Amino acid sequence: MTAPWTPMRWPDGWKDPRVLDLLRGTAIDHLVIGAGAEWSAVRSRAAQDGFHVSAPGAAPAGVEIVKGQWPGVKMERRGGGGASAGPTGEPWVDSNGWAIRLAAALHPDSAVWVDAVPAGNAFITAGSYLIAVADSAAYGGRWIVSLDNPLSVSLAAGKSDALATWRRLTAAAGFFAAHKAWPAYVPMAVVGVVSDFTGDNEFFSQELLNLLARAGQHCRILPKDRISDASLASLRAAIYADAEPPAPTLRKQILAFVAAGGMLITAPTWGEVPDTPIQNDGNRRYSLRALGKGKVAVAVAGSDDPYLWANESVVMVSHRYDLVRFWNSGAASSFCTVAPDGRQAVAHLLFYAYRGPDSATVRIAGRYRAVRAYTADNPAATKVDWAPQSDAVEIHLPPVPQYVALELDIQ
Amino acid sequence: MRYTRREWLWKTGTALSGASLGRAAGAPTAPVAVARCKTYNPAELLPTMRKMFDQLGGLGRLVKGKTVAIKINLSGSPTYRLGYLPLEDTHYTHPHVIAAAAHLMAEAGARRIRLLESPWSTAEPVEEYLLRADCEPRDILGAAPNVEFENTNYLGTGKKYSRLTVPFGGYVFPAFDLNHSYADCDVFVSLAKMKEHATAGVTLSMKNCFGLTPCTIYGTGAGIDEPSETPKGGRSLIHAGDRQPSKSAPPEKDPRSPRQDTWRVPRTVVDLVAARPVQLAIVEGIKTMTGGEGPWVGEDLKAVAPGVMVAGLNPVSTDAVAMAVMGFDPMADRGTPPFERCDSTLKLAEEAGIGTRDLKRIEVVGASIAEVKFDFAAIRRQRRAAPPPPFGMRG
Repeated sequence: MTAPWTPMRWPDGWKDPRVLDLLRGTAIDHLVIGAGAEWSAVRSRAAQDGFHVSAPGAAPAGVEIVKGQWPGVKMERRGGGGASAGPTGEPWVDSNGWAIRLAAALHPDSAVWVDAVPAGNAFITAGSYLIAVADSAAYGGRWIVSLDNPLSVSLAAGKSDALATWRRLTAAAGFFAAHKAWPAYVPMAVVGVVSDFTGDNEFFSQELLNLLARAGQHCRILPKDRISDASLASLRAAIYADAEPPAPTLRKQILAFVAAGGMLITAPTWGEVPDTPIQNDGNRRYSLRALGKGKVAVAVAGSDDPYLWANESVVMVSHRYDLVRFWNSGAASSFCTVAPDGRQAVAHLLFYAYRGPDSATVRIAGRYRAVRAYTADNPAATKVDWAPQSDAVEIHLPPVPQYVALELDIQ
Repeated sequence: MRYTRREWLWKTGTALSGASLGRAAGAPTAPVAVARCKTYNPAELLPTMRKMFDQLGGLGRLVKGKTVAIKINLSGSPTYRLGYLPLEDTHYTHPHVIAAAAHLMAEAGARRIRLLESPWSTAEPVEEYLLRADCEPRDILGAAPNVEFENTNYLGTGKKYSRLTVPFGGYVFPAFDLNHSYADCDVFVSLAKMKEHATAGVTLSMKNCFGLTPCTIYGTGAGIDEPSETPKGGRSLIHAGDRQPSKSAPPEKDPRSPRQDTWRVPRTVVDLVAARPVQLAIVEGIKTMTGGEGPWVGEDLKAVAPGVMVAGLNPVSTDAVAMAVMGFDPMADRGTPPFERCDSTLKLAEEAGIGTRDLKRIEVVGASIAEVKFDFAAIRRQRRAAPPPPFGMRG
């Protein structure tokens, strides 16, 4: 995955080319400008100034555009102003991370941009823009910077509050542009989701990715026509829930993974499964069977709710293998990657409330010998207290903004 | 001390009956063991607990050949800490204490040891809940043979809920539908943490039993007619009385009774302790917190290390001694710390005939109360004399 540009959607109201001066010194280097004559002067000046320019609705070569959601804690629409909650009472977070990873898995040589405009009823702050930038960039994508109308009007008028928000937004974009190597890092995962992600399988498989992310599970997205023997390496489990049984080669690959100690979570559509039932004291919606050193969990017929699949798979795999655990984080998510040389890991931590936490703890599985924390508005490393555990490291974060990157040196 | 008219009518009605006073005078008593224990190091913890149980007459006569159910206290979400501290150092029963209790029960001949809790808003196994809290369930499961967990916040491994009736008729509920584990045991143990409580003043061995109620029936998301399949949310039904339990379970005795949590929670706890008697009450106060039952309480909360354990065969008497260790008067009534705003669970339990809270009638063995006293009451006075902490997101 690459991220060669930092794109921005040119606000409709900005018709004076002099507004381009705002972008001087920022990481924004690709402008999506309307095709109308009223922006012709802007387009000309932008090209002269060295910006890449494209038109709305037409992805530049080498870019996949994902239609995304405005990221953050989903708020109630009917009065109250409270956070909308999921079925367990936890805040419901909208994030585009899973969609970026899916686009990257399906188009590995492309950059991924996220087209998500501020929601009409959203309460937009500088922190909201930080989340919008980080929610895409942490996963290797790039948000097409899209300003809400009040901010674009105030910025053009040179208002100080708007300029402060702009500086925070562009600092975040600059932070990720300065870490150009990160998008090429390899995602760490506990569970693999195997599917073609299209046709009859599109809704379930994509909703499963979305809900696994909400459940805090770290996934490897495995398009089933590209699976090699190495695709399942280091995973604890594979989920196969497509409507049709796997092709013989894929079946063989997955069953070999199970025999070596992995877990397969699948539907009755998988077809024939090993005939060695084992006791299942936990979830009654799955029957368990043994195969070699591993297990196969087959959902009972009619079990087609991706929310249940996502959350129950987390428990079946066990929190013992959580890659990341948070305390005092509020609504949070994470994405962990390893440098291609295997010497360094980066854990991207996202906190979706209107401000970051003031005493969060994060536990990251693995063995590390040093930890450094970075925030998007302060490129210098922030000192953090951390303590090694037997197979993890626990990091105590000071008050932080909504995005933190942890660089971990692997032992 | 302010009462609403409805609360006043209820209070005077109860007092005028005179029956409760009679029951209080004859409420049973049992010895309570008190010990200094400064650390969770098994080398200190295990002999301390063994000695306490011996002082109570020995565990063998209580548990030999029996199925023992132990209600532990894992209150609130496992993702919520007081600052950076592990949950077991502030508001969860410490895993080493659970493991030591299980080990000693097995040593005394218990046939089966079942560790029960109704974790916050989930039907996931207790083992998974502990892992999310960064506790290692294998350390507990490995402490003795035949140790197992069950999540009692829903139907669990049972085929149906068990109905447990309140012998004295109940203050709020005449009976409860609970997870089978509370009926399918020979001995019931409450293994609690020594804490103050925002709604009930203190949470000790009796208040720990509030968590017996499955949220599939008594929770915010409980089914209207039948229990829901999985628990959702907390127990606002009991706190606020904003709805009735699922119709399959016994309803409240009087839906016109007060709806205040400070009235309802202490009474419901007593109903539960009467319906599911506690044969052994253990209060762990080695490390804990002041100011409330968990980090979500809006007080100036502090982690503390009282270094004390209390255990007894009667939960009311055990809690009375634990309150005294905390610097509170167990004879306190509404209006007096720690019951400034709520009714005393101990007084209500005493009036229901469950046990005495009168220290003059309780034999304290082991360390004296004065030796181990850790003055929660003084810290409470200082805290409440100071300006309130700034409101904000703690985490």
